[in-house]
Amino acid sequence: MDCDRVAKLLPDYWQDALSTADAELVRAHLRTCSACHELEVLGEGLAHLPQEQPSPALRQRFLAMLDAYEEGQGEVSRFPRRASAPVSVTGSWPWTRPSVAIGAAALLLLVAGFLAGRYFNGGEAAHSQQEIAAMQLELTNMRQLVVLSMLQQDSASERLQGVTWSVRQRQADPKILGALLHTLRYDSSVDVRLAALDALSHYSDQTQVRQGLTDALETQQSPLVQVELIDLLVEWRARGAVEQLHKIEQDPKVDPAVRNRARRAINQLG
Amino acid sequence: MIRPVPDEELMMLVRGGAGDMLGVLFDRYQVPLFSFYSKLTGDRAASEDLVQEVFVRILKYRHSYRPGTAFRPWIYKIARNAHADQARRRRPEVEFQPEMVPPSSDRDLAADIQQEALLHRALLELPEAKREVLLLSRFQGLPYSEIAELTGCQVGAVKVRIHRALQDLREIFLRLGGDNRRVAGVNHGL
Repeated sequence: MDCDRVAKLLPDYWQDALSTADAELVRAHLRTCSACHELEVLGEGLAHLPQEQPSPALRQRFLAMLDAYEEGQGEVSRFPRRASAPVSVTGSWPWTRPSVAIGAAALLLLVAGFLAGRYFNGGEAAHSQQEIAAMQLELTNMRQLVVLSMLQQDSASERLQGVTWSVRQRQADPKILGALLHTLRYDSSVDVRLAALDALSHYSDQTQVRQGLTDALETQQSPLVQVELIDLLVEWRARGAVEQLHKIEQDPKVDPAVRNRARRAINQLG
Repeated sequence: MIRPVPDEELMMLVRGGAGDMLGVLFDRYQVPLFSFYSKLTGDRAASEDLVQEVFVRILKYRHSYRPGTAFRPWIYKIARNAHADQARRRRPEVEFQPEMVPPSSDRDLAADIQQEALLHRALLELPEAKREVLLLSRFQGLPYSEIAELTGCQVGAVKVRIHRALQDLREIFLRLGGDNRRVAGVNHGL
């Protein structure tokens, strides 16, 4: 096989798109021809260049842009200012199992895509308030399904994303709060549990969350999460947590630093 | 195992008005897009502006996203357009700076850094169209069919462009590396 032919086959060689025989011919040529070998090495070098990380400022700018968009719903600015939290319509779609949820989401998306396309494109002038409200409700339900399914992913980074974006819409959604509390108690990753706790910290006025945090103290094994939990309960003046704090303080298996923190919290709440 | 929520479903929610779901897409694409731009332009600040511009455009033109459209070629098409528009507005002469080379992680031997730096310099000396096709295919790992779709040409033409760009890159690399340095030297360094 000559050099010109090998060079032309390299793109397919890299994507395993050559027949076994052709791939072997290319390999044999690359072993003996330094010029073609150099092309292969350069191509491999390009494939393995490190990804580059943008500065944290990029994320801040994106969030500011998103805030401005959500405030204006449609007006997009490259130089946005910080805006207040948006308001959502809370739905009540019966979420059961994640696999079912995903399937339902896919189906709903097809329908809503069509409906939303008609509505947002302005193709139909006359839409009743009820139709618009129904579409908003449907959108909220779909969004809920997506967030809940993200919290169930195998990948910790996907779950972290789910936690991060679950609280963008600040109006309390009992299903999402329930899923976050479940994540706080049972997620295998400490980072994800800490992120869930941070997300839940915005909901001090929710009885479900206050009780959920106290319950989470019972099962929590990570000293990091335990300390954060205790500090938040103290900040919220959650007197209902005192009994659980006593158990931690007296448990010899618990990290000494956590027991000290629990003792101090009991005094502060007492 | 539960599959990750596909980009296409998230984009349908964004299109419907759920802007927060764009955040999930931002988390998935900010690093690949930034890396692509950074290696294409050699300018980190401009690359961040471009990534922001891509997401602004997604929100602005969200209604143009049609159900069934593959998201990745769609976002890269927006990315290419954003870059082309920016390039029309200003045509900076980018000189290679050592800080353009990102820090190596576990391959931080001096020789590796030197070879990576050389490859970055060689890339920046390539004409932009050739640099772009190499970055999309080799660095970003896009299938040739997707590159064909977003550049508006045939798959065969994409392969020819890769082949030609690679030949040019090799010549530049050898010139920059000096007479006594061969590309084989980058085998382990890269």
